Amino acid sequence: MKRVVVDPVNRIEGHLRLEVVVDEATGKVQEALSSGTAWRGIELILKDRDPRDAWAFAQRICGVCTTIHSLSCLRAVEDALGIEIPKNANYIRNIIEATQMVHDHIVHFYHLHALDWVSPVAALKADPAATAALQNAVLEKYNLNVKGPIEFDTEAYPKEFPKATTVYFRSVQEKIKKIVDSGQLGIFSAQWWDHPDYDVLPPEVHLMAVSHYLNMLDRQRDIVTSHVVFGGKNPHPHYVVGGMPCSISMNDMNAPINTERLAVVDASINMTIALNNYFYIPDVLAIGEIYVKQGYVDGGGLAKERVIGFGDYPDEKYSGTSNGDFHKNLLLRSDGVVENFAQGVDKAIFYPFEAKDLSDPDVLTEGVEHSWYDYPEKDKNKDLHPWDGVTNPKFTAPKEGSKTDWKYLDENGKYSWIKTPKWRGKMAEVGPLSRYIIVYTKVKQGILTEPTWVEKMMVDQVDAVSKMLNLSPEKWLLSTVGRTATRGLESQVMGYISKYYLDKLINNIKAGDTSVTNTEKWEPSTWPKAAKGVGLVEAPRGALSHWVTIKDGKIDNYQAVVPSTWNACPRDSKSGYGAYETSMMDTKVKIADKPLEILKVIHSFDPCLACATHLYDASGRKLTVVHSDPYLRL
Amino acid sequence: MKDVESLWDLFQKRNVSRRNFLKTCVTITGILGLSPSLISDVVSAAEKQPLVPVIWLHGHECTGCDEAFIRSQSPFASDVLLNMISMEYMDVLAAAAGEPLEHHLQEVMKKYNGKYLLAVEGAVPLNDDGIHCMVGGKTFVHNLKEVAKGAAAIIEVGSCAAWGGIQAAKPNPTKSVSVSDVVSGKTIIKVPGCPPIPEVITGVIMHYTLYGQIPPLDSKGRPKQFFGNRIHDTCYRRPFFDSGMFVEKFDDAASKAGWCLYKVGCRGPETYNSCGNLRWWNGLSYPIQSGAPCIGCSANNFWDNDPFYNRMPNIPVPNTIVNADQVGIVAAGALTAGVIIHGALSTIQHKKHHKETHDTEKDNE
Repeated sequence: MKRVVVDPVNRIEGHLRLEVVVDEATGKVQEALSSGTAWRGIELILKDRDPRDAWAFAQRICGVCTTIHSLSCLRAVEDALGIEIPKNANYIRNIIEATQMVHDHIVHFYHLHALDWVSPVAALKADPAATAALQNAVLEKYNLNVKGPIEFDTEAYPKEFPKATTVYFRSVQEKIKKIVDSGQLGIFSAQWWDHPDYDVLPPEVHLMAVSHYLNMLDRQRDIVTSHVVFGGKNPHPHYVVGGMPCSISMNDMNAPINTERLAVVDASINMTIALNNYFYIPDVLAIGEIYVKQGYVDGGGLAKERVIGFGDYPDEKYSGTSNGDFHKNLLLRSDGVVENFAQGVDKAIFYPFEAKDLSDPDVLTEGVEHSWYDYPEKDKNKDLHPWDGVTNPKFTAPKEGSKTDWKYLDENGKYSWIKTPKWRGKMAEVGPLSRYIIVYTKVKQGILTEPTWVEKMMVDQVDAVSKMLNLSPEKWLLSTVGRTATRGLESQVMGYISKYYLDKLINNIKAGDTSVTNTEKWEPSTWPKAAKGVGLVEAPRGALSHWVTIKDGKIDNYQAVVPSTWNACPRDSKSGYGAYETSMMDTKVKIADKPLEILKVIHSFDPCLACATHLYDASGRKLTVVHSDPYLRL
Repeated sequence: MKDVESLWDLFQKRNVSRRNFLKTCVTITGILGLSPSLISDVVSAAEKQPLVPVIWLHGHECTGCDEAFIRSQSPFASDVLLNMISMEYMDVLAAAAGEPLEHHLQEVMKKYNGKYLLAVEGAVPLNDDGIHCMVGGKTFVHNLKEVAKGAAAIIEVGSCAAWGGIQAAKPNPTKSVSVSDVVSGKTIIKVPGCPPIPEVITGVIMHYTLYGQIPPLDSKGRPKQFFGNRIHDTCYRRPFFDSGMFVEKFDDAASKAGWCLYKVGCRGPETYNSCGNLRWWNGLSYPIQSGAPCIGCSANNFWDNDPFYNRMPNIPVPNTIVNADQVGIVAAGALTAGVIIHGALSTIQHKKHHKETHDTEKDNE
């Protein structure tokens, strides 16, 4: 039995520590601990601010999924103040969000996850000519043949396409060789390149994937060009409560948005769709198929038991979230909970989850049994709804080592700045995999009688991959590979969603509507004395909710319940283990000292630990130092 | 043994032609905003100066600055990472994790003692002995001090490292401070911004690696070539400010016409950054061009300079281009009145434009 610490966990956002106890004889992980090791207190900082500024503060929760927190915040503030944003603003925000999803997923796959699967060292053994042939074969085979409802097909031919020539792959290989020979490996230094799992893929796949790693490193910026056009910059583009600041005019020479600006966005979306179709999808499916066929289908963990989602992409404008209107015309109806998908889609159990459930104290609660917080005496050992949560930070020493120099954390005591969120007292996983499981179940069980084009595309993708693998969905989806593959599938859908909303934007401008901001309730004098709102987003890493209470024109209470909180949370004696911990215990480790499989399964969640969250009492008591989930993020 | 190589050494080692080497130098000259007449200086710098190993640490941050770093177009992120510097430690992109990565850091610190460049992203939380940010089982403040000892120079990447950033905003629950608040005796370059413009981050790194010396700094430690003027000084909407033509509220006729955003809170007149000249995505846009008032994200303490949509009461020198050091000398208060009068006059302009726009629309019908 060996206890292994991985800290810092690399290629993530924020600070995460893992400890696993491995049975060296069998490779079984007997015990696994996930700890968020930093906390910033952004929610506390939001108190007493102008609600019109809140998006900028909330945005800084995370710079990787940048913009997602500002969107959730704007939806919460607008819900509280009863502001309905114009159609164009809804379309533009959806374009920004969908392109962010693609960007986030592509950077995750190529730059934060790929090096768990492919190695520059292994690429040196590849035959460049065979790699070119492989590239061609991959493009032919791994084509899902899906297409979104594109109205204005502006692209004459794919501008971005993988190079499949011997000369290209030879030059990349020579470059890698020079780097390896020079001994200056830079970012490629110190990895366990001799781990046997790097032999699962043939050398040619390594060379192809490393080439795409470099190619995508230089292309990823162009995916979020829409953020720079509509929001002025990226990361952290600008918004305004009530809509968007980027006014549209075809009558003024100096307008923020005109035909030329839309053409810039259009070209970037065309390129984004091509990156998904010709790079990401073929690469993730080619690698995934090899792994699945060799029996690597572990790491499913909590997804087998329970997943949760909120739904997103309002197709038209809506009057609010708390009143249920947001959920009435969504393009992606991943709202709900699905249990038992491991038994097959027919036996899976679906539970609805609506906006009203978010404020129901019996539905959503958080516990702090193993978190570095403490509930007051009267609530000891209880789980509290976030609105009622009052917690004091309470750091306790590690099992071995000192307060400022840890050896091992104490899995029997408190060990993380992350709280433990629960749905009806139970743990649930969030993320692209969860969204796919929920939509697939709802469509196949006839709960969604008229699926949207997005939902149809998602089901078609899952069916196509299942056919390719000759496995039923639950056999491959519920694994490390499945979690990583659904992120790629989702990226493909998101490319088309951004094109779909650009079409809608253009059509609406054509119809004479150029409005982007509703300023009727801009002045605080028009606001109610007290108001409360919630904003929901299906963020890259899963279901996200922001909550705001506004009093006398200022923020009285702010709170975010974030995807990585759901997934990275510590255990609970009543509810069991969270998604990270369960998935690690559902993963076999070949060499205890080199737990590559642990990195792989944790990276498959795309961890984002950026944000420490502090909550306080919603009933208006003086900002008690609370917190909810320290670490947040998507 | 030669531990650190020059760019030209590296190009030779990797069989890259002299022609490509010179092309790279030309590109670099452009990135650094230097006159083409200085290309020969850049070439000679690249031939002789050592290629600097870089260590990039993370404290209290959101990783937005890493994201900005990889958004750089000139040079491309891949060219920086593989051909121009030696990024020895950066946990966001590193292949390795945990103990092997930390061991590598120790080796690099020993091997390149006194020669590596330290880039720090994020603030330093000091509350409760620093336990609000733990990395590798130790406090971030401890790790930072240890790595800073052997650094040739330190770059504070982004407003969190440079000023404390968002976590240092009131009430600063973690008692976060800037890097220069806890590290002394070292040359520190401030590169503020939330995040900084991608090419500003890579530009500062390139300047150092090419010339082997830090770029000229202003009195606050910011590189003059990127922070020498206020956004206001080179803002393409400046003529509207000077003519008293202002946006009064979002999405009004003046917003559509792209007039000055000063009256809806724009911080351009007090913010030192390259948004007005470099812009984002190599000239594509910046918040003001997209209709959004600047929030002053590269300024010290800008988070507490809220609410953002209130117009700035103290705009220094409306019609003069000045740098931060000069502004320090000027009594800004005395000039405020002029700006306010200036703003009031704009209402007349605004009404005039509204009428004109209205007429134009009629013409189109």
